[in-house]
Amino acid sequence: MTIGGFGALAFLACLLAPLVGSTTIHLSRVFDRSIPFADNVDAQIFFVARLPRVLAAALVGSGLAVAGVVFQALLRNPLASPDTLGVSAGAALGAMLAITFHADFSLLSVSAVPLASFAGSLGALAIVYGLSAARRRGQSTMVLLLAGVTLTALLSAVVRFVQYLADFTETFQTVRWLMGSLDVAGYGPILAAAVPMAVAFVGFATLPRVLDLMSLGTEAAAARGVDVTRAERVALVSASLSTGAAVSLGGPVAFVGIIVPHLVRLIVGADHRLVLPASALFGAAFLIGCDLVARTALAPVELPVGIVTAIIGGPFFLWLLFRKA
Amino acid sequence: MSDAVLEAVGVSFAYERHGRLVLDSASLTVKPRTILGLLGPNGSGKTTLLRLIAGTLVPLSGRVTLDGADVRRLSRRDLARQIAVVPQETHTTFDFTVLDIVLMGRYPHLGAFELEGAADVAIAREALAATGTAELAARPFATLSGGEKQRVVIASALAQASSILLLDEPTASLDLGYQIEIATLLTRLNRDRGTTMVISTHDLNLAAALCSEVVLLRQGQVLARGATADVLTAAHVRTLYGVDADVQFHPRAGHVTVVPIARSV
Amino acid sequence: MAAVPKSIRTSARIVAAALVVIAQATAADTPRRVVSLVPATTEMLFAMGAGTIIAGVSSYDHYPPEVETLPKLGGLLDPNVERVLALKPDLAIVYSTQTELRQQLARAGIPVFPYVHRGLPDITTMIRSLGTRVGFGAQAGALADGIERRLGDIRARVAGRPRPKTLLVFGRQEGTLQDIDASGGYGFLHDMLDIAGGADAVGDIRRESVQMSTEMILARAPDVIIELHYGASLTPTRMESERHVWDTLGSIPAVRNGRVYLVLGNEYVVPGPRVAAATERLARLLHPDAFK
Repeated sequence: MTIGGFGALAFLACLLAPLVGSTTIHLSRVFDRSIPFADNVDAQIFFVARLPRVLAAALVGSGLAVAGVVFQALLRNPLASPDTLGVSAGAALGAMLAITFHADFSLLSVSAVPLASFAGSLGALAIVYGLSAARRRGQSTMVLLLAGVTLTALLSAVVRFVQYLADFTETFQTVRWLMGSLDVAGYGPILAAAVPMAVAFVGFATLPRVLDLMSLGTEAAAARGVDVTRAERVALVSASLSTGAAVSLGGPVAFVGIIVPHLVRLIVGADHRLVLPASALFGAAFLIGCDLVARTALAPVELPVGIVTAIIGGPFFLWLLFRKA
Repeated sequence: MSDAVLEAVGVSFAYERHGRLVLDSASLTVKPRTILGLLGPNGSGKTTLLRLIAGTLVPLSGRVTLDGADVRRLSRRDLARQIAVVPQETHTTFDFTVLDIVLMGRYPHLGAFELEGAADVAIAREALAATGTAELAARPFATLSGGEKQRVVIASALAQASSILLLDEPTASLDLGYQIEIATLLTRLNRDRGTTMVISTHDLNLAAALCSEVVLLRQGQVLARGATADVLTAAHVRTLYGVDADVQFHPRAGHVTVVPIARSV
Repeated sequence: MAAVPKSIRTSARIVAAALVVIAQATAADTPRRVVSLVPATTEMLFAMGAGTIIAGVSSYDHYPPEVETLPKLGGLLDPNVERVLALKPDLAIVYSTQTELRQQLARAGIPVFPYVHRGLPDITTMIRSLGTRVGFGAQAGALADGIERRLGDIRARVAGRPRPKTLLVFGRQEGTLQDIDASGGYGFLHDMLDIAGGADAVGDIRRESVQMSTEMILARAPDVIIELHYGASLTPTRMESERHVWDTLGSIPAVRNGRVYLVLGNEYVVPGPRVAAATERLARLLHPDAFK
């Protein structure tokens, strides 16, 4: 299956997903201009409830999938994910603080929780970046990995402490946030997340061949002419921006960053010049699909999308482990 | 370009700031189209010296020059076009094929977003043929034997079309048959293509077979350097390894051989 | 005394002895140091005039103002057993689900009054049984009667009027339309809405809490949205901006007709004696003309 095939899949997903949902709507009414928008329930369901969700799913799925590919190559570990270096944990802490302390600010139609979440992810990135820059010569990836794991553990502990301080409702809200939700009901948050995501994708565009070489080892890559330090920095910053934007938009949706890269590699092979764009497209289609299941499986009640990805992801992950073993 | 002289001039290195010096003012000159051996026990600084020459590490003091110019002035790409490295082991994280690995050797010759063209693929296939691995092109690298992997990695270095090849313990983890294979291959490449080689090894007999010149390293310092026959002596072996050895020219092998007898008291 | 037959004297002694035992037992059973880990029962005790016998309250008690001076003992998830024991209570009112706490109190020999709550009718039942338990039976009865009367009055006022489809929201992420929790067809919020003359927009989902997606809200198209806020107070400007968050869903009748209401007050999380007043507030929003 070529990039074109993945592109068609993603396009179809974006096109068809808004047509499906727990309520029956009629396309003819949706696009009927004679009915004023404020009165057109079908149009409101399509344009306010469903379409933003599908776009958010595309952005989040795409961002997390590519971040997963980049982290796996950067850390030379096929089990790495956007969560490995602590960026997700930072985003979670930011969101948690905003929810527990009832943060009241907003910026350009983006409310407090996503803003705080993104700030948290940037904070985690700064820490990991600083630690990676202070590395001893000749001891590259292992230190980065350990720094990330330690940071994740530390941030998770702080998250738990903040949860302890919270009252019942706040805890419930944070637990729900942690399960992921793409029901953004508006285009503002999507556009806001798209900005850092776009910056990240510009960075990603310079990486494909470099990631191939880096996956052989930093010395092997350097010997073939790769500026390893610069490549690692671009990879780290881009993948973290992408993760931070995705998590602040839809919460930390589990497993997307691990499953999609592996599935894509099974189909297109190991060359990152194919894996990167294919993962972006398949990640979008995958999460759009999971969200569709989440909002229709137990209609009218909705499942959090993170549960659907976990139900698919858990067994997939086990299969992957046993296959390698 | 194939006459470029690679030199290390008084290089020192420590892995930790204010740490122990792993290399102390080491100097060597690699004459073009020769095979130079770096010999010494573990911890003598062989691998570090090789990395410094390759440009992947920066010396604490001293410099590495290519044709007189400090290698630090060269971009990584330019350096990679002139010097290729064959590491001791290559681990692939992902399922690349043999051809994938060899094609990666073309990276320094490509532009930022350029894809490998027909000419690059031809060079890659030629490199595979030169190392006798042409029929493995479509196989996943991870499924190859030790000897096959090493030959493919050499092919990848050849695809870089550089005039200088650095090899770190090229036969260390291979059994006897593959050792001879690699040794023969390297000799042939040096003879047919004029590739300059620096081989870091602890296998004294391999060095004797391949290298016209050797550099002996002891605790980060150069103990001796010069023609193999002159430098690889029983006295030097005793100083380096604390071993009494019989060093003799072997008529059938065509080079000096070192047979360890006993630990020296 | 010689003139009274022996059988009557024996019976009289038996009866007298029995009366003494009963009197002593009753006196021992009337608690005078009560701890209440449930805000609802604290309010009930104060409302029936038994505030003086309360020795400690939960950390989540905020009404009536007198509770601020009383020792705080934790709550449903975090009861502070040591503090409870230190107060040496003679009755502890705890949630029926706090099994571990109940075991610890039983070991310490402290009588326990378990609090059960499923819906609105349980409030008056609880008032009556609690009142009897603490020796304020008459006052409790009057309190319960009063509540029931007032609720009946509200029911009567709104009877026969069309019931607006109402979404009763008790949770929402500030500034956004995310994480909206509404009352389903079960629980005391639903019961209050029912008495107040509203039709629960998600009444068919028999759960106390229903998470509402944007699509669901649009599809249900409620006529009225009532948002309950408790805990932190909201400034008038904040209340206005929170109300306008709903404007994104312009097609629902509640937004079109300006019937989105924000209600402040924690009597909506405490199913206690203020339930009648709380229900009336809801009824006045739903049927203002019934209260002229």
